[in-house]
Amino acid sequence: MKFLKPNNLTELFSSLPEISGKKYFLAGGTDINVQIKNGLIPEGTIIYINHLPELNGIRQDENEIFIGALTTYRELLNSNIIKKHLPFLIHSLKNFASPLLTTMSTLGGNIANGSPTNDVSPPLLVLEAELELISQNDSRRIPFQDFYLGYKKFALKENELIKGIWIKQNAAKGYQTFYKKVGSRKTLTIAKVSVAGLKRIDHGQITKIKIAVGSLNEYPRRLFQLENFLIGKDLDTLLEYDISEILKKEITPISDLRSEKEYRFQVCLNLITKFLSLNFVG
Amino acid sequence: MKINMKINNKPVTIDVDPMKRLLDILREDLHLTGAKESCGEGECGSCTILLDGNPVTSCILNAIHAENREILTVEGIAQTKAGKLLIDCFDETNAVQCGFCFPGFMVSSYHYLMYDGEPNLDKIKHALAGNICRCTGYQKIFRSLYLACERWQKR
Ligand SMILES: Cc1cc2nc3c(=O)[nH]c(=O)nc-3n(C[C@H](O)[C@H](O)[C@H](O)COP(=O)(O)OP(=O)(O)OC[C@H]3O[C@@H](n4cnc5c(N)ncnc54)[C@H](O)[C@@H]3O)c2cc1C
Ligand code: FES
Ligand code: FES
Repeated sequence: MKFLKPNNLTELFSSLPEISGKKYFLAGGTDINVQIKNGLIPEGTIIYINHLPELNGIRQDENEIFIGALTTYRELLNSNIIKKHLPFLIHSLKNFASPLLTTMSTLGGNIANGSPTNDVSPPLLVLEAELELISQNDSRRIPFQDFYLGYKKFALKENELIKGIWIKQNAAKGYQTFYKKVGSRKTLTIAKVSVAGLKRIDHGQITKIKIAVGSLNEYPRRLFQLENFLIGKDLDTLLEYDISEILKKEITPISDLRSEKEYRFQVCLNLITKFLSLNFVG
Repeated sequence: MKINMKINNKPVTIDVDPMKRLLDILREDLHLTGAKESCGEGECGSCTILLDGNPVTSCILNAIHAENREILTVEGIAQTKAGKLLIDCFDETNAVQCGFCFPGFMVSSYHYLMYDGEPNLDKIKHALAGNICRCTGYQKIFRSLYLACERWQKR
């Protein structure tokens, strides 16, 4: 394995095209090192990026919050800006991995490793976050929901990396929020199902709703069909059956060593009805 | 590659593969064998150390991550007042059976004592959630950190 530590971004981008073979960015290394240990990483070049200041820090401008890709979970959970404006994000991520992992695990690495079970995606999806991507001569922003194209397939071009995440300061303002990750234990657990949601209810009617799920498809996603169905509906007249039928079209859970697909489907349905505060009997 | 870091308050320069695991550097190059390997994948916490004051699993940390940073290992912690208190409390509550997990629990406990220190069972459980013990059982371990917190507050 070759190794490169560029001194700065300019050096990084000028050297990238010259590297042949596989390239791996090394941020906190919590995914890569496990992959190396298990022989899952073919020979190539490891490019250290964890020291680059342009990819770091949490900042706030007039309307938005920027979270650098290298921000660690520990930094995010302790950030006063996030505590003040996006407490929903803290609530959602407070049981990420274990306190030993939060020190190194970065948000950019979590997104770019691209596991369907990654914890950061469902909350970012309902917050309608955007990703800033940078390459040698370009910087562009894309909606986070367009980042995943398939299982571990991303809207990243060659030699492009994630600079950071942008979230509107008022993204969750005035919404009732919901987040639940179901695993075998509270911490140090990979999600079997996770659901994030934002809703506004006016006189018993759903006026706004956003729902995102993780671990149920080849990548985390918003449930737009279900949202469209729910909007304008009266909570009292909703049928669990209808929700279930739409959910069947929108999620394709798998069976694996963690759980069976039927279990995943049922848990997802239960969480969504819980989010809607519907107490169906039976 | 030459890498500078501070280990237990001493400046150290080593010439290593930047991808070498910090756990191996500690154990093989520096003969600091307190941090132990069991899972080697960040799951069990037996290799826990402090990096700039924060707990990390050194089995998935590379040499390059420690460049110009401060590392405190269980050997360093054992020299401190809080470290000695923790050893006494683990001893008194019989929280160490085979002892393999103990260095990791010491480091996480020390971090909690310094960073928060409230004798609060829920917080203590969360602080130790990344450390796994296969023989003593957790109640005694929670109790020892709880006891250490109470004594640390009264000191
Ligand atoms: C014991 C253990 C428990 C875990 N628990 C959880 C959990 O509860 N929930 C969860 O979601 N994850 C969990 N993880 C997975 C992991 O910790 C996270 O995915 C972490 O956030 C990855 O970040 P990193 O900086 O360590 O990534 P790295 O390992 O450094 O990189 C991961 C991948 O992302 C790429 N990459 C990194 N940064 C960028 C960037 N800026 N732009 C483009 N590509 C980039 C790298 O090339 C690499 O392919 C766990 C891992 C371990 C070992
Ligand atoms: S050996 Fe490092 S966490 Fe298990
Ligand atoms: S005392 Fe044996 S593993 Fe904890």
